[in-house]
Amino acid sequence: MSVITAEAEPEPGRKAVVRRAKVRFWDREAPLAYLFMIPGLLILLLFMGYPFFLGIYLSLTDKMVGFADFSWVGLENYQLLLEDPVFHRTVANTLIYSVVTVPFKLVLGLGLALVLNQTFRFSRFVRAGLLLPWIVPTAISSLAWLMLFDSVLSPISWVLREWGLIQNNINFLGDRWNAIGAVCVANIWRGLPFFAISILAGLQAVSPELHEAAALDGASAWQRFLSVTLPTIRNILLITTLFSIIFTFSDFQLIYVLTKGGPASSTHVFGTYAYQTMGFSALGQAAAIALSMLPFLALFAGILLREIRKED
Amino acid sequence: MTDPRTNQLIDEAMKMRLSRRSVMRRASALGISAGALGGVLAATGHAKATPNAAVYIQERTMNTLAATYFVPEGQTFFTQVAEDWASQNNVTITTDYIGWPDLQPRIAAAVEGGSGPDIIEMWDIWPYLYQEKMVPVQDLAEKVGEQYGGYYDWVTSTASVDGQWYSVPHGSSSSAFAFRISLLEEAGIEDPKNNFPKTWEELFTLGKTLKEMGKPIGQALGQSLGDPPSFAYPYMWAYGGMEVEEDGTTPAINKPEFVEALQAFTQSWKDAFDETGLSWDDGANNRAFLSDQISMTLNGSSVYLAAVAAKEGESTLDYEVQVEPDDIWHAGYPEGPAGRYNVLGSRSYAAMNYSPNADAAVEFLDYFFSPEIFLPWLEVQGGYIIPMAPGYAEDEMYTGNPSLAPYPEVSDYSRNRGYAGPANQKAAESSARYVVVNTFAQAIQSGDAAGAIAQAEAQLRRIYG
Repeated sequence: MSVITAEAEPEPGRKAVVRRAKVRFWDREAPLAYLFMIPGLLILLLFMGYPFFLGIYLSLTDKMVGFADFSWVGLENYQLLLEDPVFHRTVANTLIYSVVTVPFKLVLGLGLALVLNQTFRFSRFVRAGLLLPWIVPTAISSLAWLMLFDSVLSPISWVLREWGLIQNNINFLGDRWNAIGAVCVANIWRGLPFFAISILAGLQAVSPELHEAAALDGASAWQRFLSVTLPTIRNILLITTLFSIIFTFSDFQLIYVLTKGGPASSTHVFGTYAYQTMGFSALGQAAAIALSMLPFLALFAGILLREIRKED
Repeated sequence: MTDPRTNQLIDEAMKMRLSRRSVMRRASALGISAGALGGVLAATGHAKATPNAAVYIQERTMNTLAATYFVPEGQTFFTQVAEDWASQNNVTITTDYIGWPDLQPRIAAAVEGGSGPDIIEMWDIWPYLYQEKMVPVQDLAEKVGEQYGGYYDWVTSTASVDGQWYSVPHGSSSSAFAFRISLLEEAGIEDPKNNFPKTWEELFTLGKTLKEMGKPIGQALGQSLGDPPSFAYPYMWAYGGMEVEEDGTTPAINKPEFVEALQAFTQSWKDAFDETGLSWDDGANNRAFLSDQISMTLNGSSVYLAAVAAKEGESTLDYEVQVEPDDIWHAGYPEGPAGRYNVLGSRSYAAMNYSPNADAAVEFLDYFFSPEIFLPWLEVQGGYIIPMAPGYAEDEMYTGNPSLAPYPEVSDYSRNRGYAGPANQKAAESSARYVVVNTFAQAIQSGDAAGAIAQAEAQLRRIYG
């Protein structure tokens, strides 16, 4: 019996070696990191990776909604987009939409955050209230904007008419540039809180001692802002801008509710044009349109992330 | 009759000698079920009772999807019909109604995902796009057609797929010019009911005067399914432009007559039309007309019916109706050098083959298209949906009000989308891309009709080529 026991159990010295090896393995950061990442990675692969790669695959086919048969067409869908004037306008609109709204949101959000960083009566209440445009579902707030911009019953037009400032209702959404202006205003209204709250969080991390020291050295408020505040929140500004560009580029609800891409397809962005294309069954083309925003986003992300790494 | 509402309605109907249509409108307002309505109609000498259908042993859950109704009584009635049928058959049913431009993307998502509504309202030539996911209903569609005297050609050529039925047609809303009698008189037209402009040119000349009076013509030209194409296609055809020639492949939009006519229209847009119309969908022109901002608009009979409802204190609109129904009249389409045209395609109901309840869905359609249900559903909409077949075209709902006579008449001069080619998948794609509508909107925006048409021609070549 004792012989069997001796054969089944490892020698005490070897046992200790195995245990130490195990401890060493789990003491290293890499295995643990991979272990903890696995669930997230699986979720990403399932819910993001699969649709993404399926989208790439579909964009290389002539798949039509409702028809089982389809064939591989290579880059034909992308070639068609290069010749499609609506797609050209779509790219231009998306760039205009982002280039116009993101700086406005950044500057106004920064200003708002600086104001809210001061302590005043009901400041917490105001901070919470500021989030409203961000937390109200976009589809609902877009409908409110649609009423404001309505060509027939717009309260803005009504007030201006009553004041004798205009004779006819303002053509908010029936002219390309008016419509782009209108969606930009609504987008800035909706996206401003995201910037303000994110920057506010950064501002609250700025050490008061740094400001006091700079003030003792004779720095003005503007100099303190440039030399103390701005460098401290620089990365937050960059990250927030990056997120905002991504959100704005992939926007759909606001533009779909307000203009549906009209008039004459002149306000389409990638999302609305892809959706409209999917509506008439051309799934392959719709996937190609949606994926066409990737190079632009990759470029913006690359530039901003490089800036962030520079600081590191 | 245990429901006090039905007794109330019978009393009202007998005392006030309400017409069949009025009984149904009141029933809709009172929330009386279709089954109970059958009893009321029978009691007041207007109809037979509704039929019963087979009962399913196992409980099922079903969903229907259709476009929002512009005559709300019809939507309420359909919902009641569906719920009545469901309760008789051990089925739970939900009915969804969504905005017209949202319908096609929603169908596409359901069809591609292989799950969604069991019954879907198809518009126009959509069966060409979704036929693989629709249950063939040849026998039922033929039975319904025979029941009502055989489908009109415009119905067969648009709602069937080359003669094969995957859905059962129910007709369509149609368009005519709804205009204000008093405003046209003020603009110098004597007896406008009988002297509405006969040509597009005359119409634009009149529109100029009306705009000077502060009441322009209102025309929706946004990306929407109803009113924008109802103007753009007929105007294009009236001046010789077409998507394609009869061969179905050669683009035929770039015709000198049409280029000239579109250029003239861009000027008229400034002179005679409400210029905000480029952003209008199918509801915006109704709002503009009923809010007294425009003098006329190309529309279904819904503006008139809404004005009638408002006068009777039964308006369901969220704005004040400022137009008297007696001041509204209707006129058919003007003509151009190439003739007089209207675009028309029948809507239809389809049972979807991805549904586990496909058989029940077909049975519901069989029930819905029975005369005891289908005709009251049409009547409650006051003739808004024009007939798909001659069997009921002479009913009072279509002949009782001379103001609404132009609506069923449009089928006499209608063409399918894709004309002069056939209605098919290509025409459906062109329509969904709003190629023709956007040609007009782009010409107005750029002031360059020739450029807009050249761009449309290139698009059509890609689609039909």
